[in-house]
This record gives sequence, C-alpha cells and structure tokens, in this order.
Amino acid sequence: MVLHRGVVCPFCGCLCDDLEVEVEGGRIVSTRNACPVSRSKFLSHAEDRARPMVDGREVGLEEAIEEAARILREADFPLIYGLSSTESDAQRMAVRLAELTGASLDNTSSTCHGPTVLAAQECGAVKCTLGEVKNRADLVIFWGCNPAEAHIRHPVRYSITPTGMYRQGKKDRFVVHVDVRETRTSKMVNQFIRVQMGKDYELLSALRAALRGYRVKEAAGVPWEVIEGLAERMKGCRFGIIFFGMGLTMSRGKNLNVDAALRLVRDLNEYTKFLIMPMRGHFNVSGANEVLTWLTGYPFAVNFSRGYPVYNPGEFSAVDLLCRGECDAALILASDPAAHFPAAAVRHLASIPTVVIDPKVSLTSKLARVVIPSAIAGIECDGTAYRMDGVPLRLKKLVDSPYLPDREILERIIERVGG
Amino acid sequence: MGVGKHLNLWGKEKKILLEVLLNTGRTVDQGVSLEKGKTSSEYFDKVAVAFLHPEDARELGVKEGETVRVSTEFGSVVVRCRLGNTERGSVFIPMGPWANALTSPLTEGTGMPSLKGLKARVEAVPGEKPTGLEELLRAWRGGSGPA
Repeated sequence: MVLHRGVVCPFCGCLCDDLEVEVEGGRIVSTRNACPVSRSKFLSHAEDRARPMVDGREVGLEEAIEEAARILREADFPLIYGLSSTESDAQRMAVRLAELTGASLDNTSSTCHGPTVLAAQECGAVKCTLGEVKNRADLVIFWGCNPAEAHIRHPVRYSITPTGMYRQGKKDRFVVHVDVRETRTSKMVNQFIRVQMGKDYELLSALRAALRGYRVKEAAGVPWEVIEGLAERMKGCRFGIIFFGMGLTMSRGKNLNVDAALRLVRDLNEYTKFLIMPMRGHFNVSGANEVLTWLTGYPFAVNFSRGYPVYNPGEFSAVDLLCRGECDAALILASDPAAHFPAAAVRHLASIPTVVIDPKVSLTSKLARVVIPSAIAGIECDGTAYRMDGVPLRLKKLVDSPYLPDREILERIIERVGG
Repeated sequence: MGVGKHLNLWGKEKKILLEVLLNTGRTVDQGVSLEKGKTSSEYFDKVAVAFLHPEDARELGVKEGETVRVSTEFGSVVVRCRLGNTERGSVFIPMGPWANALTSPLTEGTGMPSLKGLKARVEAVPGEKPTGLEELLRAWRGGSGPA
C-alpha cells in the first residue's frame, strides 16, 4: 500500500492540495480530506472508461488517432473546444493543433466565466490569492454561487471557517450570501439576501448608488435598509471579498452583471481594501485562459483561419459557431458539450465529424465519429493546473494507466496533421 | 412570474400549467454521479429532475417523484419532480442534458448561452415516463424527440 500525501484534487477550481490517497495494487482504495465529488472522482476513476472507436466500431488506438488527424486535415473550418479538465501541457498542444489546422479554439470558459473575462477586459479587476482571503478577509460575500455544492471545501479551506494569520475562524468573519434562492450555502452564512432572478445588475447598481449617498426605494426585491446596511458593512470592513459565480454570468445581463460587480469593488477601494474573484468550475479552466493568453494573446474564442490569432467572442465561441452551423469538424478535448450545451448547438455537433479525447464515456463521445480514450490528469498522469486565483499547482500521477495523456495524443495527431 | 395566476385547464384531460423561471446549476449529487458515468442510472436519477417549491407543487397537484413536463420556447422534457431547493415561481434543474434541452442558445455576442432565468412552463404529467437519455441522443442526431 502506498500513501500519497499532498495530492492536488483535479475536480474544481479550488485545487485542494491537502488530499491523502491510498493506492494498493495499482488501484485507489481510499481518500482523506476529499469532498464527496472528489472522492467519487478518485474512487470511480476506473469506471465507465472510453474505448478507442471510429464510427461506433472499436478500433486500435493508432487507427483512431489516424482518423482524427484525417478529419482535421480535411476540414475547412474546424473547432477545437474544451481544454478545461486537463493539464496545461495538453492545453499548449491544443493551441499548436489549432494553429496548424486554422481552427477556431475555444475553452469551457465561454460557457462559465467568459463574461467575466469580457468584463475584466473592460474595467479591470481587483484580485488576490485565496491565501490572502484566508489570512485577512473579515467580510466575505458569495454572490450568485453555491460553494456548498459546487466548491465544497472552499468555505473550510479559504473563506468561512479556516484559521488564518489574522482571522480566527468564523467568528472573525461576516459572511453574506446573495442569490436567487436559499441553498446549502445560505445556511453557512450570517446574512442571506434574496435577489430577484435576472435582477443582479439592479442590486449591484443600487449598492454603488448607496456608496455615493444616493437612496432608492428598493432594488431587485431587496429593501433599501438591507442595501444600505450592506453598503455600510462593505465600506467599514478591513478586507472584503466578493466571490461570484454563474448567477451573474449566465443570467440576463451576463458580462454587464460582472462589469457592475467589478466596478462596485473598484468604488469600494476608495474606502477600504476590497477584492473580487470568480468561482472557477473545471479544475484547470483558469489554466485554459492562462495558456491561451500567453500563447495567442487572448483567453478564449480565438480563430486561426487567417494564420494568426483573431479574438471574437460571439463569433468564434463554440456555442455560436455550432448554432450558426459554421464549423465542419470538431475536436473536443476534456469536456462534454453534449451534456452542457443548449440542444441547438449539440444538434450541429452531432451532424459533423467530431473527435472526442476523454478518459470516460461522455455524451459527446456517444455522438462522435472518433473516440480516443486518455489518462486522467492528476490521477493517471502528472501536469500543471491553475487554481481559481491563478496560482499554478503541480498535479501528481498516482496510478499507472493503459491510456496516453492528452498531451501525447495531441502530439501524435499533430505529427500526422503535418506539424 | 405570478405563480397561481396562470393556472389553466389544458387539453382534454385536466392539466394545470405553471409559468415559472428556469434556473440551472450544479448540485452535489450531480457532481458525484457524473463521476460514476453520465450513462449511469445514478446520474439519470440525480439529474433528470426538476426542483419545485412545495407550494408550487401543491398548486400543480404533483408530489415528490411524480413526473412533470418542463417546456421553454427551445424544447421540452419530462423529468421527476423533487421538492425544495428553489423559491416560489421558479424551477431548478441540475446542469446536464435535461436542463440543456430547455436552455437558450442565444449568446448576445458573448459566447455564453442563456442558462438561467428563462421563461418556462411546468405541467403535471402523471404516469408519463421521464425523457430517457437515448431519446435525447436520438433528437440530437436528427431523429424525432423532445429536444
């Protein structure tokens, strides 16, 4: 039996790095410190694995890779999408492949925090690391997110209960949850504020007005006394942070909601230290933005058909390309758009030759022409991933795998495409 | 959305329709079961569900575990009703293929489809089977189906 300590969890953007994983006979038998989702990922890693397939027929790995290369070589306007549940060297290879094939390259941030990127490009963002939050924050606001279900150990490791350098657990922090519904997170906080669905922009704007001494009757179903009270609390804290999620990015207003939140935080820095951080979902979606930015200059929705990178969300983002029926082939890496894209986009994906590289059977693999199974990053191969605050951490290899890492599969496709 | 104001009699049978706002998102059960496999029965049981406020469910005449049809202008699915986890006037469906049979592909130039806050209708359909994964896959491949 081998006990691995300090294992980084490859599930969500928290990248908890204090896991202990026991391996016996090449199999993971137990985990410590893991949340329920993480435990399920480690203990179920061998279940429901994909097999190399072409047109629904099981084939050898080489044949699948050859067919994938042929599809990409022959495509006029391919899409390469996903990237977020793999490590950063594979992401780097995906950029290389996109450049070679003149593809559109998008990652899952276009359907999670893409609007956050757009807003930050407009007005900037006041950022920090999770360590600073743990050590210093005395006011924590969760807005449009549900860490109790989506980032399960975030509250205990960083934001509500941990003992930091200057904060002794929950008693030293005031925690607020702003959301359209009460969730498990609401039960962990000091104050829950219900905002009407689709009205986050109004509430954020009312808070900005309150900071400037203006008064409104109510906003987004929240009475003025509550708005004013929160604004005063924000001004009066020593180190405040807003963690926000899909409640802002996926609802009406999208990037404009985030823009309002970023500007609220900027305003607050006239009074005190205040910061903001998106709750990133896939464990390395931050890395996808980082890698694309340092290689192409842009974080997502990049097109190479002119031979150089062109950035245009709405045009080169995956859902738009698919819904307009523009791409004539697709390579999906480490994500499952068939499970998480609107049906109109999935229908086009099902109608074109699609290559899926994924450790597991996914719904996209059920629609794909070519399926190439891969090793799970952080369990069956090593690599680098970026935490939600932009801190890179090293993923470990815990068990051997009969499958190749994503980066090696992409290298082989690149060789055959002509790189 | 004025829940209760929009109760209508619908079709031959007495069916009551509720107009709500659709919310989608992650749950612990969704996260745990997706790691077991998206074709697993556990994933189906945890994700092919619609959470309704108990009062809304009572008005609709459905109990926990009974089937409801949720429809938007983009699609329609039959899922099992679960109680709680949402406010009055809204329905919450965990992220996944059933939720996304209903969501809007329009991104308004951002790349982000509209996955929260869509107008939806919930209808009690006692006795109907929940929409199966194969049915959704068939619809995506171009056959007839719910999405």
